[in-house]
Order: sequence, then structure tokens, then C-alpha cells
Amino acid sequence: MTLPLPRQAKQGRLIPARTGETLIRLILLSCAGIAIVTIFFILAFLIRDGYPVLSETGITSFLLGTEWNPTGYPVEKFGIVPLVAGTLCVTLGAMAIAVPLGIACAICVARLAPPAVRAVVKPAIELLAGIPSVVYGFFGLIVLTDWIRATFGVPSGESWLAGSIILGIMALPTIISVSEDALSCVPREFSEGSLALGATHWQTISRVIVPGALPGISAAVILGMGRAIGETMAVLMVTGNAAIVPSPLWNVLSPVRTLTGTLGIEMGEVATGSMHYHALFGVAVVLLVITLAVNLVATTIIGRLREQYAPGRPCGNAVPGSRRASLLSPEMRERAKIILLVAVLSLIGLPAAGIAGYAGCVFLFSLVALSWRRLSPRTTQKIAFFFISAATATVLLILAVILSDILVKGLPALSFEFLTEPPRDLGRSGGIFPAIVGTLYLVAGAIGFALPLGIGAAIYLSEYRAEGKLTKIVRTGTELLNGTPSIVFGLFGFAFLVLFLKFGVSLIAGQITLGLMILPTVIRTTEEALKGVPVSLREGSLALGATQWQTVSRVVIPPAVPGIVTGAILSIGRAAGETAPILFTAVVFSQRFLPDSPFSPVMALPYHLYILATNIPGAEANKYATAVVLLLLVILFYAIAIGIRTHYQKNTHW
Amino acid sequence: MNGMRNPASIATLLALILVMALLACGCTQQAGSQPPTTTSPGKTRESITLSGSTTVLPVAQAAADAYMNTHANAEIMVIGGGSSVGIQAAGEGTASIGMSSRDLKAEEKTRYPGLVSTVIGNDGIALIVHPSNTVGPLTLEQVKGIYQGKYTNWKDLGGPDMAIVVAGRDSASGTREFFHEKVMNKEDFVAGQLEKNSNGAVKQTVAQTPGAIGYVGLGYIDGTVRAVPILVNGTPIEPSVRMVLDRKYPISRPLILVTKGEPAGLAKDYITFLLGPEGQKILEKEGFVPLGQA
Repeated sequence: MTLPLPRQAKQGRLIPARTGETLIRLILLSCAGIAIVTIFFILAFLIRDGYPVLSETGITSFLLGTEWNPTGYPVEKFGIVPLVAGTLCVTLGAMAIAVPLGIACAICVARLAPPAVRAVVKPAIELLAGIPSVVYGFFGLIVLTDWIRATFGVPSGESWLAGSIILGIMALPTIISVSEDALSCVPREFSEGSLALGATHWQTISRVIVPGALPGISAAVILGMGRAIGETMAVLMVTGNAAIVPSPLWNVLSPVRTLTGTLGIEMGEVATGSMHYHALFGVAVVLLVITLAVNLVATTIIGRLREQYAPGRPCGNAVPGSRRASLLSPEMRERAKIILLVAVLSLIGLPAAGIAGYAGCVFLFSLVALSWRRLSPRTTQKIAFFFISAATATVLLILAVILSDILVKGLPALSFEFLTEPPRDLGRSGGIFPAIVGTLYLVAGAIGFALPLGIGAAIYLSEYRAEGKLTKIVRTGTELLNGTPSIVFGLFGFAFLVLFLKFGVSLIAGQITLGLMILPTVIRTTEEALKGVPVSLREGSLALGATQWQTVSRVVIPPAVPGIVTGAILSIGRAAGETAPILFTAVVFSQRFLPDSPFSPVMALPYHLYILATNIPGAEANKYATAVVLLLLVILFYAIAIGIRTHYQKNTHW
Repeated sequence: MNGMRNPASIATLLALILVMALLACGCTQQAGSQPPTTTSPGKTRESITLSGSTTVLPVAQAAADAYMNTHANAEIMVIGGGSSVGIQAAGEGTASIGMSSRDLKAEEKTRYPGLVSTVIGNDGIALIVHPSNTVGPLTLEQVKGIYQGKYTNWKDLGGPDMAIVVAGRDSASGTREFFHEKVMNKEDFVAGQLEKNSNGAVKQTVAQTPGAIGYVGLGYIDGTVRAVPILVNGTPIEPSVRMVLDRKYPISRPLILVTKGEPAGLAKDYITFLLGPEGQKILEKEGFVPLGQA
């Protein structure tokens, strides 16, 4: 690759290079600082509104109370133990499903699939991220819970298991996309070296490439987990929302209620200032603290991994052999791996096979796992590739089922009038024009807010990190913001923008709330993309006398654009389909005129869909048609962005 | 290689996004700063917001649409949120009209003494089960027993041998509050109750779960669920508009619009419209019980 050389000398400068550099550095730092300020504000506002419940009922009876009964008579009970248990159970289950499937699929896409297959599978998976959570929820409620009820012979399928499956599916695109990026950026010479030494493909993948990409894969898992913990609308439609701790604790068929679900179903109808209202803010604080804790732990683990595998350079220079700080002996690790494998596979097998086949599966898997080391590398490879292909096929099948369900029911109701007219008869007839426009306004505002800030912050974190205390704080802030559930953003937007700043329920409140929500995704993916650029390029540029900013803007950013665009795609998809953050901040059910100022409320597709699905009887056709439009809109965004990305990928090689 | 092309493209991309964002804000602001164009000259656009109960929302919205069709200068926006939110919004003056599906509580009356409520219709709450469930009419006492967890199998109530799945509304819902007072006498619900945040979701669950029971407004009853008659003094009463009108069906409640002081201007015109024949027809079409003569 020929490097674009900095043309410093030729350009006249108004500002001396040094001042310019400092200025840019400051701007970037302040971008990054926004993350910290936001986290601080969110916490402050939630605590402000959540404090009364602690002072009233006492911190122990709130945190350790086993009964959540806001309408209890004569005493209201606000004990959050069942809610916390529900959140943990559902999230763990979701990860047990999504992590193996996701990583297998990522390996398949990044390393095994022929280019033609890859070109189909990758966008398809990104599409999975674009399906709005309300659609997942409705699909889960109608198809999945019914299937669970019939398969397991339980009275109701609304359960922990249903929640975990839906959340697992929803976390998949994030996990796959980010791990695939990480796997793809392990340098080619590593795999070439390994293959040259006589290792099989599978040995190369499992012992060289995956360890080399481990920091990226861990990041993927955490991003996915963040999505699972924070998901509201889908989970509240399928878990049954009974505020009980599963009994016995491993009863995956018990209904559960998550912290987010509680906020989602109760926040909308509670009177501001009542004890119930404060209790819900208390719940939000707990939710935030849990996600912050998970993130902190995860960040620490990733930091360790990065040090362990890639001193100084997280991606592109992994050293798989240097396992210095390992806690377990190789022998124990091997055993732990087998146990983990069996545990994970049995969890996947549970929904897939029913009780009878399930025991057989566990037996079979155990057999395979036990004899794993005695098999020849070729057989191992065959088995591994079989599972990987099966996982990828499963993911694609899920996508196909959900998409065809929506398309078959929605396409017939789609017409020109539907796209261009305002709704009539409560959305049962007429169109959804104001909702389309409203969603576009919301997404444009959100991305216009988040993209400059996010890219600035990512550049600061990735390129200007003098790993001082400040950088560390900024980085932690971003990590924390990333794990913050979308409903918490919604509550914050409501408490801060709508009530405190008196914006009212308005377009601008929704745009800022959505913008804040997608900011961490933008930062995260941009950072990963920047890190994928080999350090040698930077060194070359700097050695030629270019300043830091010249290096960043002309050498580092251009090849990182595909990655940055991927981040933007994921964000747009997410912003367009989110209901929770705009539920309390921006939307009205129906509107005759388009919003005429940033301070008037808007209609939005996901909310319209949500209301049609839950509050308007007899709107079947338009409900699915709305889902189709939302999907097509997202596909349109994706198509443009994927086009840009493919264009760049063709032209970037090193 | 095209190293030089890349920065230019990023700049274009960023510029495009910025323009999009500015466009979104810019054109809206422009539109906002100009006086809105109205179809009939001499009269400026008047706008009110309604906020509150999601039960009343469909009626309020449908009536607003009908009203706006004939009054081009009126803009009526309807926002959900729940009865408590509606009463509060009216009391605080953040909405012109609050919608509620229950009477004002004593504490709400003392907090906002100036509130005036207007009953616009009634809503019957029906108990629904899966169409395959053959259970006969239930007394209110039995319904209460089901929701308390005293009965766990339909055979205890003369139905098929099948576990009962109890479905209800979330604890912030006005419908649940009403049910809690009227049917449960404020006693606690069974802890394993499935909680749903809308009538539609309750119906959906009941329609696909053979053992389930739920409660929804009359407008939600269709072929996918079966409404259970309620035994009153030995007579089974079907949940229907007729029976609520005749005051025979025991579980019904008023739909209320709340205003701060006597309604005036557009709010008054709108409420008058709702109480008139056209408004009442809309109400009935949405599955609610019109005021009638009684």
C-alpha cells in the first residue's frame, strides 16, 4: 500500500502546528469527557428521584425485601430481590445461548466461509440487529411462548427460558459483528505460520486466531451482555413479569420479572412524585449499579487479557503463546474447558430437543467432550466445523423465520397510501407518514449528535492515550455508559430533559436521549476500527515528520472508515428500532400535523407499532405493515452503509 | 491505491450527516417561527393536549380525529400514561384535559381541589378464558379466589382438569387498581400472576394459553377468547354493553375527563362533542358503554 504522505510543508498555517495540535487534543478530550459528564448526570438524577424510597422504606427492606407489591394494602411493598434475581437469570441464560452461537458464527464468517457466503451472511446478521425489539417481543409472545408451552407441557410458556432465548437472539448481532471484526484483524502471517507448521485449520483457529482475537471477542461478549441486561420491550412481553424468584432456582420455566421489565410496564402509568414513582427510580439506580459493576469487572478482565496476549498493542500483534498470568495449570484448564463445553451445550440443547432428546444430547456431548483429546486432529476439525456450520445455520434460520413471519403478514397491507397518509381510525386504517418522518427526525438528530462526539472521543482514546489518570477515567466512563440500559436513558431523559430542563415531551428530548444511548456504540466500534490499523503505518507517518493529527487524519482514519461505518450502522439500526428511550421523552400516539418545532412531540414507528400491538384491537394488518416499513427503513440505511464499507474494503490492503 | 480519496470521502460523509441533522432541526425551527398557516382565515390554530389513561386513549383519539376533520383550526394531541398521570397532568396544568378510568381518589381531590370531572361513558371489565375452557359462570367470590391463588385448578370450579394461569395488569395500571378494589377488596394478588402492561397483551396471553384467565375491557372480546359470565344472586350475567347499561353487570367503571376548573375554549367544545350523539357513537364503536338514559 502506498501511504498518503502528509503535505505539511506546502500548506500555509494560520495557527502554529503545536497550538493546532493542542487545540485538537482539547477538542477530542472534551468529546471524550462528555461520556463522564453524562454518566455523572444520569446517576445524579436517578439518585435524586430514587432517594425518597430509601429514606422511607429503609435501604435494607428495599434491597433485601423479597416482595414487590406496589399496590399492597394496607402497606405497599418495594422489595427488589425478585427483580434482581429475574434480571440475573434471564441475562445468564441469554449469554449461555448467544455466546457459543455468536462466536461460532463469527469464526465461520471471518475464517471459514467463502467470500460469496460471507457477503450474504454478514449483512444478514447486521439485519438481525435492525429488527426492532418490539417485533422480537411480539414474535416471542406469539410464537416462542406458545412453542415452549406445548413442548414442555407447562401451563404457560411465558418464562425465564423465553426471555433468555429472545434476549440471546437479540444479543447475537452485536456479538457476531464485533468478534468477527476482531477475528479478521488477527494478522495473516499468524495463521500462515501456524498452517506452515502443520497445524490443521481448526488447530490454527482454536489455538492461534481465537486467542489472538480474545480481547475483541471479550468486548463483543460484554457489548452483547449490555444489550441483554438493558433490553426492555421484548423481555417484558415474554417473561410473564411475575415478581417471584424461580423455585427451585434453576427452574427455567418459571415466570420471572426483570428490573427493566418493571420500569417498562410500570413507569408509563405511575404518577410523578408518588412513592411508587420514587421506587421505580430506585430500581433504575440498582439496574445502573449492576450494569456498572458488570462493566467494571469486564473492563478489568479485558485489560488483563490485553496485557496478557498483546502487550502494548491489542489488535494486530497478539502473542498467543505468552500465557504468563494464568491462574490455572494447563491440566485444570483443559478439564475446565470440557466442563464448560458440556454445560454450555446442554443449555443450548435444552430448548432445542425437549426433555427426552435432551438427556441423549447431554450424553452424546459428554462423550464427545471426554474423547476429545483422543481423537485425531482431522476428526476434531470435522466435528468442530460441523458445530460451527450448524451454529451459523441456526442463526440464519432464526433470521429467516422472524423475517418471513413479518413479511408474509405485513407486505399485503403495504401500499402507497400507507406510506404517505396520516393514520385514521386509531391506526387501523390510513397510513403512517407522520411516524416515518418522526423516526427519521429522531434518528438524524441522534446520529448528528452522537457521531461527531463519538468519533472524537474514540480518536482521543485510541490515538492520544498517554494513559494518564484522565484517560483512564474517560475510558471507564465510556465503558459504563455503554452498559447503561436504554430504559435508564429513557428515565434520565424524562427526569432531566423533559422535567428539569422543561423541554416537555419533545423531538429534541428524544434526539438527545437516543444520541446519548448510541454514543458508546459509536465510540466502541470506532475505537476498535482505529486499533485495527497496524502500528507500522503510524510509525511510518510520524517518522516522515507528520504531526500526530496529520497522522491520525490522513493515515489512521481512512483505512478505519469501514469499521466506523459498521458502528454507525449498528447505531442507526438500534436508534430507529428503540422504544424504551423515547417512550417517556418524545412520542405521542397520533398526530395530524408534522412537528413544527424541536419542542413538539413526534410520532415514531416503533412506538406506533408498540401501541398498535398492545392497545388497539383489530389493527393486525397495519401492525405488521408498520413492522415491515420499519424493517425496510433500516435495510435502506444498511444498504447505503454496507455499500460504502464494501467500497473501502476493496481498496484497503496491507 | 487511493489513499487520497479516503479523507475526502469521510469529510463528505460527515458533512452529509451534519447537513441531515441541521436540516432536521433547521426546517423545523423555521416552521416554528412562522405563524402556522390556517385554512380558515381570521382564526388562529388552537391546540390542546389530553393525557392519561390508556383505556380512554382510543376513544379520545378517535373523537379527536373526528372533531379535527370538521374543525381545521383545532389540534388535539392525545398522550397515554395512565389514569394517575392524567389526573396529575390536569392538576398541574401540563395537559388541558386528563383522562382517567377511575374516580378521583380522596388524596387527589385534596391535592388538586379545582379539578372538575366529566363522565363520558362506562367501561365493563370482562373476565376472559381460552375458548376451549368449558368452565361455567363464576361468582365474584370465586374470581377473587382465583386471583388470590386459592384455586389453582379449573376442576375446582367445575371446569376441565387444568392448572389455572392467572394473568393481570401491571401494578401501575388503573384497570388493575379498579379490579383490586372492586373484586379483590384490596387483598393481595397471587405472587405468580403474569403481569401485562396492556389489555391487548392480556388478551394475547389468554388467547394462546388454554389454562389462562385474564381481565380486559369489553372492547377486547373477540373470537380468540371466551368471556365468562358472572353469577349475580344466582343469575349468570354476560359481560355486554347492554348489561352494563342496565346496571346488571357488576364490574364496570366510569370513563372520566378531568379539567382544571370548568372546561373552556377548545377543551369545552371537545368534551361537548364527546357527550353529543356523534361522540357517544364513537365511544360505543370502540367497545365502551355510552351514557344512555339511565
